[in-house]
Amino acid sequence: MSSEYFADDLPLNGIKVVETAQGVSGPYAAKLLASLGAEVIKVELPGGDWSRKTPPFLSETNHTESSALYLYNNTGKKSVVLDWRNSEGLNDLENLIKSADVFIEDWDISARTEWKLSPEFFIENNPQLIELSITPFGLSGPYSTYKSTPLIQLALGGILNLIGNPEQEPLMLPGHQPDYLTGINGSNAVQIALWDRDFFGESGKFLELTMLETLANLHQAPLDMDGGIRRRSGHRQSPLSSNGFPPGVCTVSAKDGYMTFGGGSPAIWEQLCLMLGRLDLFENETFSNVFENPESGLIVDHIMENWMADKTREEVFKEASSVWMLPVSPVKKINEILEDKQYASRHAFQKIIHPVAGEATYPSPTFTANGEKLKVSRSPMLGEHTKEYLW
Amino acid sequence: MSAVDTVSSGALRHLRIIDLTRVWAGPLGTRTLADFGAEVIKVSDPRIPLSRVGKVNDKLNRNKLNIALRLDKPEGRDVFLDLVSVGDVVIENFRPRVMRNLDITYGKLLEVNPNLLMCSMPGFGLAGPYSEYPAFGSTAEAMAGINSMIGYVPDRPLQTGLSYADPVSGLNLVNVILAFARRRSVTGKGNFIDLALADSPLGTLGEFFVANSAIDYKQHPNGNRHSQYAPHGAFRCFGDDQWIAISITNHFQWERLKVEIDDSRLENPGYGDLSGRKANEGAINRIMEEWTSRKDAGELMEQLQQKGVPAAKVSNNLDVLNDPHLNEREYFSYLKISEENIEKYDGQAIPGNQKERSKWFPMRDLGEDSNSIVMEYLGYSKDKYLSLLEQKVIS
Repeated sequence: MSSEYFADDLPLNGIKVVETAQGVSGPYAAKLLASLGAEVIKVELPGGDWSRKTPPFLSETNHTESSALYLYNNTGKKSVVLDWRNSEGLNDLENLIKSADVFIEDWDISARTEWKLSPEFFIENNPQLIELSITPFGLSGPYSTYKSTPLIQLALGGILNLIGNPEQEPLMLPGHQPDYLTGINGSNAVQIALWDRDFFGESGKFLELTMLETLANLHQAPLDMDGGIRRRSGHRQSPLSSNGFPPGVCTVSAKDGYMTFGGGSPAIWEQLCLMLGRLDLFENETFSNVFENPESGLIVDHIMENWMADKTREEVFKEASSVWMLPVSPVKKINEILEDKQYASRHAFQKIIHPVAGEATYPSPTFTANGEKLKVSRSPMLGEHTKEYLW
Repeated sequence: MSAVDTVSSGALRHLRIIDLTRVWAGPLGTRTLADFGAEVIKVSDPRIPLSRVGKVNDKLNRNKLNIALRLDKPEGRDVFLDLVSVGDVVIENFRPRVMRNLDITYGKLLEVNPNLLMCSMPGFGLAGPYSEYPAFGSTAEAMAGINSMIGYVPDRPLQTGLSYADPVSGLNLVNVILAFARRRSVTGKGNFIDLALADSPLGTLGEFFVANSAIDYKQHPNGNRHSQYAPHGAFRCFGDDQWIAISITNHFQWERLKVEIDDSRLENPGYGDLSGRKANEGAINRIMEEWTSRKDAGELMEQLQQKGVPAAKVSNNLDVLNDPHLNEREYFSYLKISEENIEKYDGQAIPGNQKERSKWFPMRDLGEDSNSIVMEYLGYSKDKYLSLLEQKVIS
């Protein structure tokens, strides 16, 4: 349990990052680098990053400075306003990048063509520069001019097809998951290139990271699945092979909300049957694969819901986890998570005050180092640091 | 099979990782590091064969060496300590008490390697009220709020069905290891990292926590409906379980879509702006689905994208494998399983100085590298190796 924040030298102290990327993927990559100690200069067009216009807003009167999406994804950065679409602005951007280690942008092939920016443009003036290009589909290939949103990414990446009820519309993950995942890979790509540059004397690089490849990489089983198709399974875990899963690997209701039970192995299925007082089900061979015998799943759902009908999620969680050693968790809502005692005990969140948006609670970087979370500072106001860097 | 080439290429060559992780999150993270040339030594239990079900392990454990070692026997623990003494990083994802019972906590390991970097990946964290509770990717996503926002109706949350906390944690593992390995190289100081499975999805839901804490903002399950985009969802196409995702983000795209659908019912002036389309989303979706249900999803994607309308075929795993874009960009990798058998696997999404593709190798069998690891890396004599084999400490 920690009471303080990690105070030693941070890993990326001394690394300077310039970012023109907008929205979530590039900004989240740069936010991660900032949290690890890098100096991040966020370069915004005069109207600001588009995420500044994305609701919900924390202030009713000043939206530019109070979008939750912007506030979260730009912690720890400086904001400089310039317009790289005209020659004076581009010149200023070039000068900023000359002294940078890393440049993160999200210009797709149409933007690059319009502004006549080749991938070599910035590296020519700074051979040690690591330029990370983040686009939905990359700068080449049949989809390179396609329009994208998180829903589109999840669809082509094979993730959408896995979520939701079998005969119904496939469902998306909440918010901007493809962008966040790509952002983590962006931080990973930058750090690998820095390692190569700083420890092996490699020169700078132009790195092309795409959202679609990030998603394609995150399937648990190989995509060929022996020629089979992995199907979405509603409130159940989707099977990874024709062996399927026993019943009880599902999201079902307790007295005050839902619980998700994990599992898949015979050992966990046996523990679940023991907890329910129904070892006869474990011994019944027709209950070994819920996808071959859907009726068995419905029967066990019903038994589980009866067993939990008078128990709160907290009670089920405690008993199933500590007595029966079952992997299980309450389905927690966002407001419940903010009050959760486990998360509180590890400083999973920290309060940050912003001069316009006020106080809000932000997730901390998702790990502790020597028992301590890393401290995060507020996101910048539009152009707050223009003078500092350009004048 | 002769010993594989582990140290010749890739940015992370010379980084040696002792990998005790199992299942998905940990192995995904260490595989990513291995794809960039890190020398990953996977430590397995000789009594537990590596499952080949669904080839999940095969996929997640390429480019790693394998030593089979009984950590619960004193002689095996000694071998492990010797291994740690010549390693840079140890990563594990047991429940916290397992490492304590084996007496291989960070404190102990520091005695043999004073600047060791170690990362534990417990379900909920190494301390706190839930620390000893078991967790999977599927339950950690429930704890972290993902499930509470998936579903068709507000009062019936669903799980992703794909253990979403695992892949997020796997990528986060790479991020934190790279950072603190760098710090270790610069300062000579190791660190202990606690990366809880149930923490990782918090980071990808940040805006929801910020907005809920400040203005009590809540998002309930509501299909694929989006507060700013309409229409927005997956629409049934011709064929078995074929769908197209369409995501209209502005007026221009809506006008283009209407031209393609060419249905007078969509000319309703009330549909001209976002609030009108949101108010009539059900009716609009039904008209659209009448149209899409006669179409091929792949062809429709091309048709709409050519007009600037965000649309995508809802790909299944085989569609992704055969996707023309991913294939043209040479995303996939081909692993030589045997002289006759080359299998197509996913590649590496992270760009950069990866291990040369010709040197990528498939998952090593249980204990396949035990001999070379203890004799070459640890300098054990042949007699000592044979004695460990005989005692069934290694295999």
